[in-house]
Amino acid sequence: MMDIFLCLKQPSRMVDSKRMRMTSNFQWILLTFLLLYLMNQVSSQKKRTPHDLKCVTNNLQVWDCSWRAPSGAGRGAAYEVCIENGSHSCYRLEKNTKIPALSPGDHEVTINFGSSISKFTLNEKDVSFIPDTPEILNLSADFSTSTLHLKWNDKGSVFPRHSNVIWEIKILRKKNMEIVKIMTHNTTLNGKDTVHHWSWTSDMPLECATHYVGIRCHIDDPKFSGHKEWSNWSLLKNISWSSDSQTKVFPQDKVILVGSDITVCCVTQEKVVLALIGSTNCPLIHLDGENVAIKIHNISASESSGTNVVFSVEDNMFGTVIFAGYPPDIPQKLNCETYDLKEIVCTWNPGRPTSLVGPRNTSYTLFESFSGKCVRYKRAEVPTNESYQLFFQMLSNQEIYNFTLNARNPLGQSESTLLVNVTEKVHPHTPTSVKVKDINSTAVTLSWHLPGNFAKIKLLCQIEINKTNSVHELRNITMKGVENSSYLIAVDKLNPYTIYTFRIRCSTKPFWKWSKWSNEKQYLTTEAIPSKGPDTWREWSSDGKNLIIYWKPLSINEANGKILSYNVSCSSDEETQSLSEILDPQHKAEIQLDKNDYIISVVAKNSVGSSPPSKIASMEIPNDDLKIEQAVGMGNGILLTWNYDPNMTCDYVIKWCNSSRSEPCLMDWKKVPSNSTETVIESDQFRPGVRYNFFLYGCRNQGYQLLRSIIGYVEELAPTVAPNFTVEDTSADSILVRWEDIPVEELRGFLRGYLFYFEKGERDTSKMRGLESGRSDIKVKNITDISQKTLRIVDLQGKTSYHLVLRAYTDGGMGPEKSMFVVTKENSVGLIIAILIPVAVAVIVGVVTSILCYRKREWIKETFYPDIPNPENCKALQFQKSVCEGSSALKTLEMNRCTPNNVEVLETRSMVPKTEDTEIISAVAERPEDSSDVEPENHVVVSYCPPVIEEEIANPGADEAGGASQVIYIDIQSMYQPQAKPEEEPENDPVGGAGYKPQMHLPVTSTVEDLAAEDDLDKTAGYRPQANVNTWNLVSPDSPRSTDSSSEIVSFGSPCSINSRQFLIPPKDEESPKSSGGGWSFTNFFQNKPND
Amino acid sequence: MSRREGSLDPQADSSVSPLPHLEAKIQQTHSLARLLTKYAEQLLQEYVQHQGDPFGLPGFSPPRPPVAGLSAPAPGHAGLPVPERLRLDAAALAVLPPLLDVVRRRQAELNPRAARLLRRLEDAARQARALGAAVEAVLGALGAETGGPRAEPATAAAAAIAAAATGGVFPAKVLGLRVCSLYLEWVSRTEADLGQLAPGGPA
Repeated sequence: MMDIFLCLKQPSRMVDSKRMRMTSNFQWILLTFLLLYLMNQVSSQKKRTPHDLKCVTNNLQVWDCSWRAPSGAGRGAAYEVCIENGSHSCYRLEKNTKIPALSPGDHEVTINFGSSISKFTLNEKDVSFIPDTPEILNLSADFSTSTLHLKWNDKGSVFPRHSNVIWEIKILRKKNMEIVKIMTHNTTLNGKDTVHHWSWTSDMPLECATHYVGIRCHIDDPKFSGHKEWSNWSLLKNISWSSDSQTKVFPQDKVILVGSDITVCCVTQEKVVLALIGSTNCPLIHLDGENVAIKIHNISASESSGTNVVFSVEDNMFGTVIFAGYPPDIPQKLNCETYDLKEIVCTWNPGRPTSLVGPRNTSYTLFESFSGKCVRYKRAEVPTNESYQLFFQMLSNQEIYNFTLNARNPLGQSESTLLVNVTEKVHPHTPTSVKVKDINSTAVTLSWHLPGNFAKIKLLCQIEINKTNSVHELRNITMKGVENSSYLIAVDKLNPYTIYTFRIRCSTKPFWKWSKWSNEKQYLTTEAIPSKGPDTWREWSSDGKNLIIYWKPLSINEANGKILSYNVSCSSDEETQSLSEILDPQHKAEIQLDKNDYIISVVAKNSVGSSPPSKIASMEIPNDDLKIEQAVGMGNGILLTWNYDPNMTCDYVIKWCNSSRSEPCLMDWKKVPSNSTETVIESDQFRPGVRYNFFLYGCRNQGYQLLRSIIGYVEELAPTVAPNFTVEDTSADSILVRWEDIPVEELRGFLRGYLFYFEKGERDTSKMRGLESGRSDIKVKNITDISQKTLRIVDLQGKTSYHLVLRAYTDGGMGPEKSMFVVTKENSVGLIIAILIPVAVAVIVGVVTSILCYRKREWIKETFYPDIPNPENCKALQFQKSVCEGSSALKTLEMNRCTPNNVEVLETRSMVPKTEDTEIISAVAERPEDSSDVEPENHVVVSYCPPVIEEEIANPGADEAGGASQVIYIDIQSMYQPQAKPEEEPENDPVGGAGYKPQMHLPVTSTVEDLAAEDDLDKTAGYRPQANVNTWNLVSPDSPRSTDSSSEIVSFGSPCSINSRQFLIPPKDEESPKSSGGGWSFTNFFQNKPND
Repeated sequence: MSRREGSLDPQADSSVSPLPHLEAKIQQTHSLARLLTKYAEQLLQEYVQHQGDPFGLPGFSPPRPPVAGLSAPAPGHAGLPVPERLRLDAAALAVLPPLLDVVRRRQAELNPRAARLLRRLEDAARQARALGAAVEAVLGALGAETGGPRAEPATAAAAAIAAAATGGVFPAKVLGLRVCSLYLEWVSRTEADLGQLAPGGPA
């Protein structure tokens, strides 16, 4: 065969070389024909001899060789085959021959057929190894698990050596044999026939469709160098469910893991129209016939009764239930302990819920490895998250247990282990049957029952002892455990005649857990004799004849039982006197004694016996140096301190009473040890604001000496009443006040002083408001000298009402106030002085003025009333320069020469004075037309106008005729007279504005409004007084109009020029016109308010 | 009337005409049947709730598998004479308790935490038994021949249904539903039949 290959190679090279050189298609065709020719020649040559030798093996031991017979060789022709294999061996065979496997290397094989001889070179590499077709021994199915089980024989005995085998298995489904799966399975040939098993679980229930299985193999012999090929596929075997005619759904009640996929099918002969998973429609997968399937992916946890899968046919429905859940979680918090060392209780938590209940619920098995015993958990539906427990009977002589708790459900299993020494894990039961019995008044026996066998261990028990109104006491007791479960202990150090409540709990040593507390057991201990005598004190009666003995009832701890009675006796050096028995509720006895010294003894008795006697001397040890002190407490008590006195050998006694009570006063007393130097006296009877007397006694040889007397308050309060005060004396400038003490009961504290307030005020108007607000008009006197009982208030005003207030205060606060109104007496001297001084001053001023006027009368006359006025000094004439200068429009008097041409002295006594003014008719005045031309209505009359007497105006000619100058003296007091009818002047004056007019043309009867209307005219028309006369308000008290303040009629109180009504005295002092013109009256002297 | 079934006035048995007593008995039994009808409706509702979807979905009509020994009231039931109807009622009520017990046991596995459902099933079995006895008593009082205690059919039915219920969970659910439905049907049927006898009812 190899030769043929070589022969073929040579022409091939030639063809290749030619092809390289030839480029045309023709050459290609020619070459092809040539090649075909050569091949045909070779083929013809081969057909005439045996050719195509092939060898295969299926067991590596025998080669099965075959060749093609030469043309013309009939069936049954014999060949001689010779193999050169170290030795020359020839076989006469027919067409095929089985030869032993040749050793590795080339071997020459010669086949003679008649005259033709064919030679071949045979090598193991040219041999194909094709294993025999495997045969399936058995194919079975577990329908419940949808598992196929395959069984076959590897026939390994035919192979000379061990080899690896690869089995390939294919799964086909449905009648049309859809390949579902092809898997491999590796085994090893071991020289023996071996039956192999292989299982496969289908994702589809096997009932749903026919499943087919085929198998082939591939043997990988490492020493065989030839071609290793797969065997042929075995015959297919199938599994099908022999269904009856009933419709069924598969799988039935399957338990699967949450999240997995599952296929559910309905094997039916009816047409399925609908498939539901719960309430969800599912697409149908059609199988053989009418069978259908649905596939559920990633299924969620089922509810308790499972997930329903329903297939609906036309008139019926079929279904199954799938339970999707979880495998059991690892048991958590596994704990094993014992209550009684007889039985072990193991508890655990199941962990994650499995969503499986009922028969699919997790089952637990507790296995103990040392003993090999196990117990199973009897299934009971335990609510979720509740612990499970199992009881394991303890084994004798075994203390250490190795527990394995196995949890199992259809989806899997888990386990948890615990190694425990049960003697260290004892959690005793609750002690029961607690009983108490007397031993004596201070001890009892306590017994209880504790189930369990604790003989080998020690118990640690705790006894809780509760006493009424006391902190509970815990006593730990270690005791050896017993088998009979009964325990008994003695409890001592109890108080006699006391109700106790006992309860017990126990644990073991080493400690693991306490049991629960037992029920409480209450018990009253028996009585004992009183431990001490009663606390005793004595007081002499107020008449000093009887001695009253007081004692305090013993406390419960001291009485040790119910006190039935007391025995009181008094003894002296000579005799002992005993009183009759005093029954318990009474704690006082009175004995008539003389003033001799007696020792009083008091004994308390109960049903068991008498207490030791309490003794006290009847007489006090005198103390001459005794002072009363004060003390203030802390609200609920009062602290008393004293100096240490080594002479006091017994104790100190502080007794106290309400200070307002009569003697003998005793509220209570308190004894303190002799080494004490202070004590706090507390009592529920103490009230704030109540004064108490405290007496400190020191004891020497059963005799008491009063050391200190203290008055005090536990808390000071403000007085409840104000001091009662009266006015002892009143003068014009002082008041003497006296007050009384406040009673102690109402003082409610130590008096620290008084506050005295006073102010001016009437009873009805003055209210002493805001005493503490610091009003400046209130004067306060703080009287800290509490012995002071009077107060004189000085520097008061006479005949004035004063408001007096008095209040007392303590450290607790201010007491209420008490007020009183007092009027001081009148001060007559002051009044007289007040009248006389102004009168005197007025007289002096008048006299001085008169003297001055008299002595300076000439000067005054020259100054104010000259006989011939100096025109240069006339301000009226200066007016021309000052006012009209620079104003050509203003026509003023041009004073050339102002010589009075007529002076007439008039009598002033007549009601209508006949006065003739000196009339100066100036050139300007004689030309009224000129001025009227400019201002026809408001003509300006500018003239020097002495006072105009209307009667004189009626005869101007006479005036003009007279050439002598006259001086007119006008009584300034009567100047109103010529102005009686001012309204008639313009009409009756024939001269009108042409003649000489007085400078001031005052409309004495005109209203203020009229004057105001003419104001502008006045300013511009002629000479006017330099001051606004409207502002003058000079009132002459003698003037008939002086009382009419609204009148515009004025009078001049100062000297005035005869031709001017302006004051000629310059108003240096603004007061002067008023004062001089205002008049003076005596009443003004006393006027407080000048404006008034 | 036997003392066992109870009497409001025991002394009236011998001194008073039996007719008012019969009426009272019928009235009591009718009231019991009416009460049990309400309970049976609640039981059916509760049962459906615990079976999961599609049970309880509107339009869901599960198959009505036959129950051995117990059939639904026949359509011609109303045409029968009243005593005959009551006899059939009593017979059905006698079969129902063991069936309800089987259903309760199966539900105890499926829904162990559905305490109310389990209690209702347990009560239903007891109440069916009591109602059956009461109907028997009425029949006796009426002078009609009673079927007497028939334990065999009941036991056979229970065995049959127990076998059926173990076949699979789904069939068991359906069977339980069927039993509950039959219970309701028979109790309401009994109520109707007793209503025929009760005062004021159609004669």
